[in-house]
Amino acid sequence: MRPGVAIGIAASLGLLLLPGCMGGMPVPLPGLNRQLEQAGSSREPALSERWLALISGRSGREQVLLLDLQRQLPVPLPNLNRLDAQPLSVGVDASGERLALVRQLEGRTELVLYRRSLGSLQLIPMVPAGVPRQVSLRADGRELAVQLSRNGLWQVDLIQIP
Amino acid sequence: MVERNGRLSLLLQRQPSGQVVPLRQIRGHEPHGSPSLSWNGRYVAALVQQGNQRLAVIEDRATGRLHRLPLPGDQPPVKLSLAPDGQRIALELLQGGQRRVQLFDLSGMLEPDRPAGLAVRGGGPSQEATQP
Repeated sequence: MRPGVAIGIAASLGLLLLPGCMGGMPVPLPGLNRQLEQAGSSREPALSERWLALISGRSGREQVLLLDLQRQLPVPLPNLNRLDAQPLSVGVDASGERLALVRQLEGRTELVLYRRSLGSLQLIPMVPAGVPRQVSLRADGRELAVQLSRNGLWQVDLIQIP
Repeated sequence: MVERNGRLSLLLQRQPSGQVVPLRQIRGHEPHGSPSLSWNGRYVAALVQQGNQRLAVIEDRATGRLHRLPLPGDQPPVKLSLAPDGQRIALELLQGGQRRVQLFDLSGMLEPDRPAGLAVRGGGPSQEATQP
Protein backbone atom coordinates (compact mmCIF):
# COMPACT_ATOMS: atom_id res chain seq x y z
CA MET A 1 0.00 0.00 0.00
CA ARG A 2 1.32 3.44 -0.89
CA PRO A 3 2.10 5.61 2.19
CA GLY A 4 -0.29 8.36 1.09
CA VAL A 5 -3.14 5.84 0.85
CA ALA A 6 -2.31 4.42 4.28
CA ILE A 7 -2.36 7.90 5.82
CA GLY A 8 -5.63 8.68 4.08
CA ILE A 9 -7.27 5.53 5.45
CA ALA A 10 -5.91 6.13 8.94
CA ALA A 11 -7.14 9.73 8.88
CA SER A 12 -10.58 8.69 7.71
CA LEU A 13 -10.79 6.25 10.63
CA GLY A 14 -9.72 8.96 13.03
CA LEU A 15 -6.46 7.17 13.70
CA LEU A 16 -3.98 9.78 12.56
CA LEU A 17 -1.86 10.26 15.65
CA LEU A 18 0.42 13.04 16.69
CA PRO A 19 4.10 12.23 16.33
CA GLY A 20 6.16 11.39 19.41
CA CYS A 21 5.77 9.30 22.52
CA MET A 22 2.45 7.70 23.33
CA GLY A 23 3.68 5.87 26.46
CA GLY A 24 2.18 6.25 29.95
CA MET A 25 -1.26 7.31 31.00
CA PRO A 26 -2.56 10.09 33.21
CA VAL A 27 -4.09 8.46 36.30
CA PRO A 28 -7.23 10.07 37.77
CA LEU A 29 -7.04 10.97 41.47
CA PRO A 30 -10.40 9.67 42.74
CA GLY A 31 -10.36 11.13 46.28
CA LEU A 32 -9.55 14.65 45.08
CA ASN A 33 -11.90 14.41 42.10
CA ARG A 34 -14.75 13.41 44.44
CA GLN A 35 -13.96 16.48 46.54
CA LEU A 36 -14.11 18.62 43.40
CA GLU A 37 -17.45 17.13 42.33
CA GLN A 38 -18.91 18.03 45.71
CA ALA A 39 -17.99 21.67 45.07
CA GLY A 40 -20.43 21.82 42.11
CA SER A 41 -19.30 23.08 38.73
CA SER A 42 -15.66 24.11 38.56
CA ARG A 43 -13.50 25.93 36.06
CA GLU A 44 -10.27 27.94 35.62
CA PRO A 45 -7.91 25.54 37.44
CA ALA A 46 -4.50 26.73 38.64
CA LEU A 47 -2.24 24.02 40.03
CA SER A 48 0.90 24.72 42.05
CA GLU A 49 2.60 21.99 44.07
CA ARG A 50 0.16 20.99 46.85
CA TRP A 51 -2.43 23.66 45.97
CA LEU A 52 -5.24 23.81 43.46
CA ALA A 53 -7.09 27.10 43.03
CA LEU A 54 -10.23 27.24 40.90
CA ILE A 55 -13.57 28.93 40.49
CA SER A 56 -16.44 26.80 41.71
CA GLY A 57 -20.14 27.45 41.36
CA ARG A 58 -23.33 26.32 42.99
CA SER A 59 -26.82 27.77 42.61
CA GLY A 60 -25.58 30.37 40.16
CA ARG A 61 -23.02 31.85 42.51
CA GLU A 62 -19.31 31.46 41.83
CA GLN A 63 -16.42 31.77 44.23
CA VAL A 64 -12.70 31.08 44.47
CA LEU A 65 -11.83 27.76 46.08
CA LEU A 66 -8.35 26.74 47.26
CA LEU A 67 -7.86 23.04 47.80
CA ASP A 68 -5.02 21.60 49.86
CA LEU A 69 -4.14 18.52 47.82
CA GLN A 70 -2.23 16.84 50.66
CA ARG A 71 -5.06 17.09 53.16
CA GLN A 72 -7.70 16.87 50.40
CA LEU A 73 -9.62 19.73 51.94
CA PRO A 74 -10.55 23.30 51.00
CA VAL A 75 -8.82 25.99 53.06
CA PRO A 76 -10.45 29.22 54.28
CA LEU A 77 -9.92 32.37 52.22
CA PRO A 78 -11.06 35.18 54.53
CA ASN A 79 -11.96 38.47 52.81
CA LEU A 80 -11.47 37.09 49.30
CA ASN A 81 -14.91 36.00 48.12
CA ARG A 82 -17.68 38.60 47.97
CA LEU A 83 -21.32 38.10 47.13
CA ASP A 84 -21.23 41.04 44.71
CA ALA A 85 -18.05 39.99 42.87
CA GLN A 86 -17.72 37.69 39.87
CA PRO A 87 -14.37 35.86 39.72
CA LEU A 88 -12.99 35.39 36.19
CA SER A 89 -9.52 33.89 36.58
CA VAL A 90 -7.28 32.79 39.44
CA GLY A 91 -3.65 31.82 39.98
CA VAL A 92 -1.79 30.47 43.03
CA ASP A 93 1.87 30.22 44.01
CA ALA A 94 3.59 27.02 45.16
CA SER A 95 3.34 27.93 48.85
CA GLY A 96 -0.40 28.59 48.66
CA GLU A 97 0.22 31.99 50.25
CA ARG A 98 -0.41 34.27 47.27
CA LEU A 99 -3.38 34.16 44.95
CA ALA A 100 -3.87 36.44 41.95
CA LEU A 101 -7.45 37.05 40.93
CA VAL A 102 -9.22 38.78 38.07
CA ARG A 103 -12.74 39.71 39.10
CA GLN A 104 -15.63 41.94 38.16
CA LEU A 105 -16.79 44.19 40.95
CA GLU A 106 -19.11 47.18 40.83
CA GLY A 107 -19.02 47.33 37.04
CA ARG A 108 -15.26 47.21 36.60
CA THR A 109 -12.79 44.40 35.99
CA GLU A 110 -9.76 44.38 38.26
CA LEU A 111 -6.67 42.37 39.13
CA VAL A 112 -5.99 41.81 42.82
CA LEU A 113 -3.29 40.03 44.78
CA TYR A 114 -4.43 38.14 47.86
CA ARG A 115 -2.13 37.18 50.75
CA ARG A 116 -3.72 34.29 52.58
CA SER A 117 -1.85 34.58 55.90
CA LEU A 118 -2.93 38.23 56.19
CA GLY A 119 -6.32 37.90 54.52
CA SER A 120 -5.35 41.06 52.61
CA LEU A 121 -6.19 42.22 49.10
CA GLN A 122 -4.03 44.53 47.02
CA LEU A 123 -5.21 46.09 43.78
CA ILE A 124 -2.68 45.68 40.94
CA PRO A 125 -3.07 48.59 38.51
CA MET A 126 -2.77 48.08 34.73
CA VAL A 127 -0.21 50.56 33.38
CA PRO A 128 -0.99 51.78 30.75
CA ALA A 129 -4.68 51.23 31.40
CA GLY A 130 -6.24 47.98 30.24
CA VAL A 131 -8.91 45.46 31.15
CA PRO A 132 -7.50 42.24 32.65
CA ARG A 133 -9.00 38.92 31.58
CA GLN A 134 -6.75 36.06 32.70
CA VAL A 135 -3.92 35.75 35.17
CA SER A 136 -1.14 33.29 35.87
CA LEU A 137 1.10 33.50 38.92
CA ARG A 138 4.67 32.22 38.80
CA ALA A 139 5.24 29.31 41.18
CA ASP A 140 7.55 31.37 43.42
CA GLY A 141 4.91 34.09 43.67
CA ARG A 142 7.29 36.83 42.49
CA GLU A 143 5.82 37.58 39.08
CA LEU A 144 2.48 37.32 37.34
CA ALA A 145 1.44 37.23 33.70
CA VAL A 146 -1.84 38.91 32.91
CA GLN A 147 -3.77 38.81 29.65
CA LEU A 148 -5.51 42.11 29.11
CA SER A 149 -7.38 44.07 26.52
CA ARG A 150 -5.68 47.37 25.68
CA ASN A 151 -6.66 49.69 22.85
CA GLY A 152 -8.68 46.90 21.26
CA LEU A 153 -5.81 44.40 21.29
CA TRP A 154 -5.14 41.39 23.49
CA GLN A 155 -1.78 41.78 25.20
CA VAL A 156 0.19 40.01 27.93
CA ASP A 157 1.91 42.01 30.67
CA LEU A 158 4.49 40.62 33.08
CA ILE A 159 4.28 42.27 36.49
CA GLN A 160 6.89 41.90 39.24
CA ILE A 161 5.50 41.49 42.74
CA PRO A 162 7.55 42.77 45.66
CA MET B 1 -0.73 32.75 22.52
CA VAL B 2 -0.22 34.70 19.29
CA GLU B 3 -2.26 34.78 16.13
CA ARG B 4 -0.55 33.28 13.06
CA ASN B 5 -2.41 32.96 9.78
CA GLY B 6 -5.67 33.51 11.62
CA ARG B 7 -5.09 30.72 14.15
CA LEU B 8 -3.92 30.89 17.73
CA SER B 9 -0.42 29.52 18.14
CA LEU B 10 1.68 28.91 21.22
CA LEU B 11 4.80 31.03 21.59
CA LEU B 12 7.44 30.17 24.19
CA GLN B 13 9.77 32.98 25.20
CA ARG B 14 12.83 32.82 27.42
CA GLN B 15 12.70 35.53 30.08
CA PRO B 16 14.02 38.17 30.47
CA SER B 17 15.70 38.06 27.03
CA GLY B 18 12.47 37.46 25.08
CA GLN B 19 14.26 34.88 22.92
CA VAL B 20 11.75 32.61 21.19
CA VAL B 21 12.19 28.92 21.97
CA PRO B 22 10.98 26.53 19.25
CA LEU B 23 8.29 23.96 20.07
CA ARG B 24 8.82 21.29 17.45
CA GLN B 25 6.21 18.72 18.47
CA ILE B 26 3.23 20.95 19.15
CA ARG B 27 3.75 22.99 15.98
CA GLY B 28 1.33 22.10 13.21
CA HIS B 29 -1.59 21.29 15.51
CA GLU B 30 -3.13 24.75 15.77
CA PRO B 31 -5.22 26.29 17.13
CA HIS B 32 -3.43 25.94 20.43
CA GLY B 33 -4.83 26.91 23.79
CA SER B 34 -4.28 27.07 27.54
CA PRO B 35 -0.46 26.91 27.73
CA SER B 36 1.14 25.86 31.02
CA LEU B 37 4.83 25.50 31.97
CA SER B 38 6.78 23.44 34.48
CA TRP B 39 9.35 25.04 36.84
CA ASN B 40 12.26 25.18 34.39
CA GLY B 41 10.24 25.13 31.21
CA ARG B 42 11.13 21.51 30.48
CA TYR B 43 7.47 20.62 30.01
CA VAL B 44 5.03 22.67 27.98
CA ALA B 45 1.41 21.56 28.29
CA ALA B 46 -1.28 22.88 25.97
CA LEU B 47 -4.49 22.07 24.19
CA VAL B 48 -4.06 21.24 20.50
CA GLN B 49 -6.27 20.27 17.60
CA GLN B 50 -6.13 16.84 16.00
CA GLY B 51 -8.75 16.58 13.28
CA ASN B 52 -12.04 17.45 14.96
CA GLN B 53 -10.73 16.53 18.41
CA ARG B 54 -9.37 18.82 21.12
CA LEU B 55 -6.48 17.16 22.94
CA ALA B 56 -4.30 17.88 25.95
CA VAL B 57 -0.62 17.25 25.23
CA ILE B 58 2.71 17.83 26.94
CA GLU B 59 5.92 18.51 25.04
CA ASP B 60 9.08 17.41 26.85
CA ARG B 61 11.70 19.85 25.61
CA ALA B 62 14.53 17.79 27.14
CA THR B 63 13.77 14.64 25.15
CA GLY B 64 11.78 16.05 22.24
CA ARG B 65 8.90 13.71 23.05
CA LEU B 66 5.24 14.53 22.90
CA HIS B 67 2.95 13.04 25.53
CA ARG B 68 -0.69 12.78 24.54
CA LEU B 69 -3.17 12.65 27.42
CA PRO B 70 -6.03 10.31 26.56
CA LEU B 71 -9.16 11.14 28.52
CA PRO B 72 -11.95 8.78 29.48
CA GLY B 73 -15.22 9.16 27.56
CA ASP B 74 -16.36 12.11 25.53
CA GLN B 75 -15.06 14.95 27.70
CA PRO B 76 -13.38 17.64 25.62
CA PRO B 77 -10.75 19.59 27.55
CA VAL B 78 -11.38 23.33 27.88
CA LYS B 79 -8.43 24.42 29.98
CA LEU B 80 -5.46 22.89 31.76
CA SER B 81 -2.90 23.66 34.44
CA LEU B 82 0.31 21.68 34.84
CA ALA B 83 1.89 21.44 38.30
CA PRO B 84 5.30 23.17 38.35
CA ASP B 85 7.07 19.84 38.97
CA GLY B 86 5.13 18.16 36.13
CA GLN B 87 3.77 15.44 38.39
CA ARG B 88 0.08 16.39 38.20
CA ILE B 89 -2.25 18.11 35.82
CA ALA B 90 -5.64 19.75 36.38
CA LEU B 91 -7.99 19.59 33.41
CA GLU B 92 -11.19 21.54 33.00
CA LEU B 93 -13.47 19.19 31.08
CA LEU B 94 -16.86 19.66 29.50
CA GLN B 95 -19.17 17.00 30.93
CA GLY B 96 -22.78 17.07 29.78
CA GLY B 97 -22.69 20.80 29.22
CA GLN B 98 -21.15 21.49 32.62
CA ARG B 99 -17.55 22.38 33.30
CA ARG B 100 -15.69 20.25 35.82
CA VAL B 101 -12.07 20.27 36.94
CA GLN B 102 -10.45 16.86 37.32
CA LEU B 103 -6.99 16.02 38.62
CA PHE B 104 -4.64 13.46 37.12
CA ASP B 105 -1.35 12.02 38.33
CA LEU B 106 1.50 12.12 35.79
CA SER B 107 4.29 10.61 37.92
CA GLY B 108 4.25 7.44 35.78
CA MET B 109 4.72 9.51 32.62
CA LEU B 110 7.04 12.40 33.45
CA GLU B 111 10.22 12.87 35.45
CA PRO B 112 9.90 15.67 38.02
CA ASP B 113 11.07 19.12 36.89
CA ARG B 114 12.23 20.58 40.20
CA PRO B 115 13.09 24.19 40.99
CA ALA B 116 16.68 25.12 40.16
CA GLY B 117 19.11 24.45 42.97
CA LEU B 118 17.04 21.74 44.67
CA ALA B 119 19.10 18.69 45.61
CA VAL B 120 18.32 15.42 43.88
CA ARG B 121 18.35 12.43 46.23
CA GLY B 122 20.03 9.20 45.30
CA GLY B 123 22.73 8.35 42.78
CA GLY B 124 25.61 8.73 45.25
CA PRO B 125 26.75 8.07 48.80
CA SER B 126 24.14 8.83 51.41
CA GLN B 127 24.30 12.08 53.35
CA GLU B 128 25.04 10.18 56.58
CA ALA B 129 28.04 8.46 54.98
CA THR B 130 29.58 11.79 53.99
CA GLN B 131 29.17 13.43 57.39
CA PRO B 132 32.52 14.15 59.09
